[in-house]
Amino acid sequence: MSEWLSSPFFGISLSIAAYAIGVLIQSKLNTPFANPLLIAIMLVIAFLNIFSISYEDFNMGGQIITMLLIPATVVLSISVYNQLDILKKNWLPVIVGCLAGSIASIISVWLLCRVFGLDDKMTISILPKSVTTPIAVGSSEQYGGIASVTVTSVIITGIFGTVFSPQLIRLFNVKNAVAAGVAIGTCSHVGGTTRAIELGETQGAMSSISIGITGLISTFIMMFIKFL
Amino acid sequence: MKILWQIGVIVGICFAGEGISLIMPIPFPSGVIGMIILFLMLLFKRIQSRDLKESTDFLTDSMKFLFIPAGVGVMQIFDDIRNSFLPMVFICIVTTVITFAATAAAVNGAIKFQQWLAARRRKSA
Repeated sequence: MSEWLSSPFFGISLSIAAYAIGVLIQSKLNTPFANPLLIAIMLVIAFLNIFSISYEDFNMGGQIITMLLIPATVVLSISVYNQLDILKKNWLPVIVGCLAGSIASIISVWLLCRVFGLDDKMTISILPKSVTTPIAVGSSEQYGGIASVTVTSVIITGIFGTVFSPQLIRLFNVKNAVAAGVAIGTCSHVGGTTRAIELGETQGAMSSISIGITGLISTFIMMFIKFL
Repeated sequence: MKILWQIGVIVGICFAGEGISLIMPIPFPSGVIGMIILFLMLLFKRIQSRDLKESTDFLTDSMKFLFIPAGVGVMQIFDDIRNSFLPMVFICIVTTVITFAATAAAVNGAIKFQQWLAARRRKSA
């Protein structure tokens, strides 16, 4: 049995099956809280625990899926390139916004982690949480963070952005569509962007450009974390 | 064979990115280096985005799925981070609000600056 389960096809099959259930549940409940990725992760963990299967067996296939994250990061630049025209028109607000947001995010996470007394490993893992997952995981691992903690904090941030972006726009009285889009993309990456697209074309485009730019800028800022 | 060539280009960029990442004096994720390489290739017309369409669509559409194994990894370390879990959730939410406010304020400031510049240019013309 354990020989069978350590086949890489086991982990891949289980992941796809769990994700299919996650997508099905979301389409039935139709609420952003029912995040398919979150559901799939919990289902896989439950399955492995119930049948006492080790993470190592699961990860024989899992690591093949994880490996695909790097090519998935690389092709993110295509969406930035496809929106080059709208970026050229708004480059100053977009870059200033992403820069300010990245700095605010990293400093506020760092301060709060210190307030709560989290150790360095946890802090580094949470630092890139406003960045899109593949870049966040890359940054976190480079500095000795824990990839799975980073993934969890990025998902929490994404769900919050998806659900509460319209409330944030009202709370801070953001009237300009460019400002709203950049702010959503910078603070809550792809999660918030799916909501920004519903708010309007400008918001959606600005939000998706900001994901890539914030990812780049944050990677550069992360180089200075050793001075914190 | 079309998709095989597309995968070849993307995997080749990933491999180049890892090589550059190894010789960089500072830690930098190889995926981001690959992003910059592909962006420059698109900018200098070495490649067109439609040449990679099928593979790009696959990777983008299944992006969320690709994080499942990494997320499941939490079960391995959960006992170690049990006490940090709730603070982590709290930190993620509060800092997202702070980031939103800082970004929106900065974008509004930059737009006002651009308008001020344009107005001044009009006056001097």
